[in-house]
Amino acid sequence: MRTLVIDTATRACSVALFDGKQLLAAQHEVIGRGHAERLLPLIAALPDNGKADQIMVDVGPGSFTGIRVGVAAAKALGLAWRIQVHGYGCLSLVAAMARAQSGSQAAVDVIMTGGHGEYFFEAFNDTGHSIAPARSVLPELLATVALADHVAGDIDPQRGDRVWTDILPDARAWAHLPDDHALPPVPVYGRAPDAKPAAVRA
Amino acid sequence: MAIILGLESSCDETAAAIVRSDRTILSHALAGQEDHHRAFGGVVPEIAARAHAELMTPLVETALADAGMTLHDVDAIAATAGPGLIGGVMVGLVTAKALAMASGKPLIAVNHLEGHALSPRLVDADLSFPYLLLLVSGGHCQLLRVNGVGDYNRLATTIDDAVGEAFDKTAKILGLGFPGGPAVERAAALGNAKNVPLPRPLKGADEPHFSFAGLKSAVLRAHETGQYKVEDIAASFQQAVIDCLYDRIRYTLDRIDAPAALVVAGGVAANVPIRNMLEGLAASRGMRFVAPPLWLCTDNGVMIAWAGAERFAMGLTDGLDFVARPRWPLDPNAAPARGAGVKA
Repeated sequence: MRTLVIDTATRACSVALFDGKQLLAAQHEVIGRGHAERLLPLIAALPDNGKADQIMVDVGPGSFTGIRVGVAAAKALGLAWRIQVHGYGCLSLVAAMARAQSGSQAAVDVIMTGGHGEYFFEAFNDTGHSIAPARSVLPELLATVALADHVAGDIDPQRGDRVWTDILPDARAWAHLPDDHALPPVPVYGRAPDAKPAAVRA
Repeated sequence: MAIILGLESSCDETAAAIVRSDRTILSHALAGQEDHHRAFGGVVPEIAARAHAELMTPLVETALADAGMTLHDVDAIAATAGPGLIGGVMVGLVTAKALAMASGKPLIAVNHLEGHALSPRLVDADLSFPYLLLLVSGGHCQLLRVNGVGDYNRLATTIDDAVGEAFDKTAKILGLGFPGGPAVERAAALGNAKNVPLPRPLKGADEPHFSFAGLKSAVLRAHETGQYKVEDIAASFQQAVIDCLYDRIRYTLDRIDAPAALVVAGGVAANVPIRNMLEGLAASRGMRFVAPPLWLCTDNGVMIAWAGAERFAMGLTDGLDFVARPRWPLDPNAAPARGAGVKA
């Protein structure tokens, strides 16, 4: 069973092809922007154009545009190859990567860049499962959160008493996710659009 | 004969269609987002992008099913690559790239404006190049000489608002609802176009361009006086638009070697009194008048598939790294119009 993994939810743009849980090939670039231009050439560079039996795509939260690029591509590939498409949480993958890197099974909190200067925050327990859905929080609120001993993500929590692992999600680490990680292939934006209805504005 | 799948997602319509190069429309799936945006009184880019991401793949499946086809039967995949709201454009373009890569078919990145500009040739096999095109939509008001696929001379453009923008803003001022174009046209049909004095910006000016911002402001002032019926303001506004378009097109026609046909395209081409004026103007100049059916004037996937078919026939295809363009003029060499800024 081959799995194509697509991760475009952050500054990283990465794809990986697995046979079962064994990594066959991957591409991982930190590009900031331009996922819509890089993604398909990266997939096309995988063996057999990345053709797989199922697709796993990072559904967020993260960059609104990045999530859409990944989900749109995954759904279209799923249609073309007539295969199933599933999602996984952006911060879940970061938590799984942090646990794998540290070799520790302890709880981990993930803090990632959000929109408008806010951060996405999600806490994971000692089995690697989310305790509550990711929330978008103001940076100053982090000081009031009772953080776990181990913090991961691309935001430095600035708390000297905690271990921080600087991590961006990487499709190559997909196999580290808990077995029951699959979500619907639907964007998890984590923030509402900024626009307010005319009546609310007035 | 080539079979082209076309995707459109540059504003608030998500669409997929399949067209054959012999001008047969094999399927045509479209989902509007009016309900998503109504509460905001206009299209909200982030909300539009989210809706496109949700709707695009199911619409492709519908278009394929309605045509009784799979991707294997399609020769190329075309998608709007700009200009437009970039978040939505990217959804359609990435979907097309993925379909193209997975099926081994070429990608064709289509300029949305070229979709409008070539759509009259889909419904009129006798319409040959060159022709004079009035492109009127929510984002544009241009007079173009269409020399061929990818070959345009912009003869005139708006120096401020697009004509569809003026309709939408007038509808908002008058409380007629969204989308504004049809709402103003309906109200105008019930009003007297002579009851409200409104300006005709740039009428008689010794330059070819259009202007509608002052007209919209005059509508606001007239409405604020409280002495006019909404229907009369709508009718007077629409007549002022018609007078301006007539005067400006006539200015250009007096100065060029006019092609055999006058063609209108874009969402505002759905306005019947404007079409009637253009038909009369063409007749008075001995030109043929060509207007696509109303449903083909507003945004749709059929025109993107057709523009894709025209480009495919010329061997024009694009790479998977094609960059979506929020701005993409049909005539990049056109001289800037006075004060027009980025809209030219």
